[in-house]
Amino acid sequence: MHGKAAIAGIGETTYYKHGESPHTEFQLACIAIRRAVEDAGLALTDVDGLVSFMDQRNVPVRLARALGLTELRFAATTWAAGGNSMASAIQLADAAVSSGHARHVVVFRALAQGQFGRFGQAGGSGGYAGLSGSLAWNGTYGMLTAAHQCALHTARFLHDHGISQEALCEIALACYANAQRNPRALRRGKPLTREAYHASRWIVKPFHLYDCCPENDGAAAAVVTTLERARDLPQRPATIVAAATGIGPQYGAFDMQHLGSAFYRQVGKHLWEQAGCGPADVDVAQFYENFTGPVLIALCEMGFCAPEGVEEFVSDGRLVGPDAAFPFNTSGGNLGEAYIHGFELVNESVRQIRGTSTCQVKKVERALVVAGPGYAPGSAALFGAPS
Amino acid sequence: MTRADDRAAGVPRVLGDAWSLPRLDAHNRAFFTAGVLTLQQCTACEHVQHPPDDVCEACGGFDLGWLASAGDGRIESVAVVTQAIHPALAERVPYAIVLVSVADAPGVLVTGNVVGAEPDAIRIGDRVRVVFADARDPQSSAELRIPQWEIVAA
Repeated sequence: MHGKAAIAGIGETTYYKHGESPHTEFQLACIAIRRAVEDAGLALTDVDGLVSFMDQRNVPVRLARALGLTELRFAATTWAAGGNSMASAIQLADAAVSSGHARHVVVFRALAQGQFGRFGQAGGSGGYAGLSGSLAWNGTYGMLTAAHQCALHTARFLHDHGISQEALCEIALACYANAQRNPRALRRGKPLTREAYHASRWIVKPFHLYDCCPENDGAAAAVVTTLERARDLPQRPATIVAAATGIGPQYGAFDMQHLGSAFYRQVGKHLWEQAGCGPADVDVAQFYENFTGPVLIALCEMGFCAPEGVEEFVSDGRLVGPDAAFPFNTSGGNLGEAYIHGFELVNESVRQIRGTSTCQVKKVERALVVAGPGYAPGSAALFGAPS
Repeated sequence: MTRADDRAAGVPRVLGDAWSLPRLDAHNRAFFTAGVLTLQQCTACEHVQHPPDDVCEACGGFDLGWLASAGDGRIESVAVVTQAIHPALAERVPYAIVLVSVADAPGVLVTGNVVGAEPDAIRIGDRVRVVFADARDPQSSAELRIPQWEIVAA
């Protein structure tokens, strides 16, 4: 921690629309891992650690066999959660490498929703044979997806702070605009206008279609090692300056204290304490957009602006392009590039540190990645240029 | 009709009789069957928490009982679902999901639906009271009384 570890290699598959991957999820995972290890200038036999999140399928023993990882000695996954623990996975790898439990840890996420079904259609067409657990409390009333849950937080946040629909629109517009520069982006060639945003159908108010990220197939991976070792490898290292998780109240529950929250106050507090710097020191930021609304909340909770100022903060093109006032989701993010559970945002942060983004910000010293908002625990990581 | 009579009469279920029912367990049985808004309360410190759990979040106590709430609440957030994500809800959209704070259980939010209101007309701040939809689970034969909400003052 505190800058001892770094990302030395990144890799990803081609990104596909949901259901269009020619490969199985496990094959996608193998492709991304191979590419990340190759990018790092390492051999697969150098990999001695594996970390993922929300992944009960592509298990380490199976990957070790398929990839020839003969010296695997560390494997872990974050406590069950979704894209909110994307940066917690970086934190786990950082901890393993910094403490010497492993030398080269690959962090990855693979998704093939054509093979395994979509998050947004839980239950399928067969119906719910009785709603148990948190579904009993929420599903009984038709609250069934992350969109519904995040819409309730967003509606309250907009109401309390006098924020208009345009603020949500601005997040979508920025992601789509930045995606137009990125050959990997699934939304490249499909620019979004303000008119098209407002004309799009509602999914759950206050979310239009374009407020909701698509579901995609693909995989992304990154190799974490010590900064010391990374300096001897071909790529410019992206130092893990800080990585933080904020454990909040239970999944699926609402309470007055956290209504209108994205569960990022704790994450911000821990991240900036660990990093020894603050929001003003960030040169470029990637925010996981499951939905646009929680991004606005996370921007505030991470300390970039006050809720009363967030609409101005995101408006008038302030998030668009490499010269933006606040360079944001420069690859297009979940909305514009692909939804690989946010791991594509980690790789984009590394590109910004290397200077190889298709929407490259000048003089990047600090690149922030914020994982999925609206669910606890949230997580975030701050990457730095090596000194 | 007195308020108690009104409640006893029951109201239609906003999502319809065909929509799935909660599977009853030790934590949710009282909430979905009592016919009174029933929330978990710590016997030792009287803290009310929702959803119920095995341990009191305020004092750590294990001795947990139930509060029969008067059932008066306030809409704290509302989201109008316009795209059905399940075929059984296709005829029910648009419907509103609301979060309701309960007057005699500070801090608690209960998820619900509002009876007899246009989804788009429901506002944060609306005063509501609990009403119940009767349902029978064909699989378990359990008789349910599902809490819903009715606007009493905008």
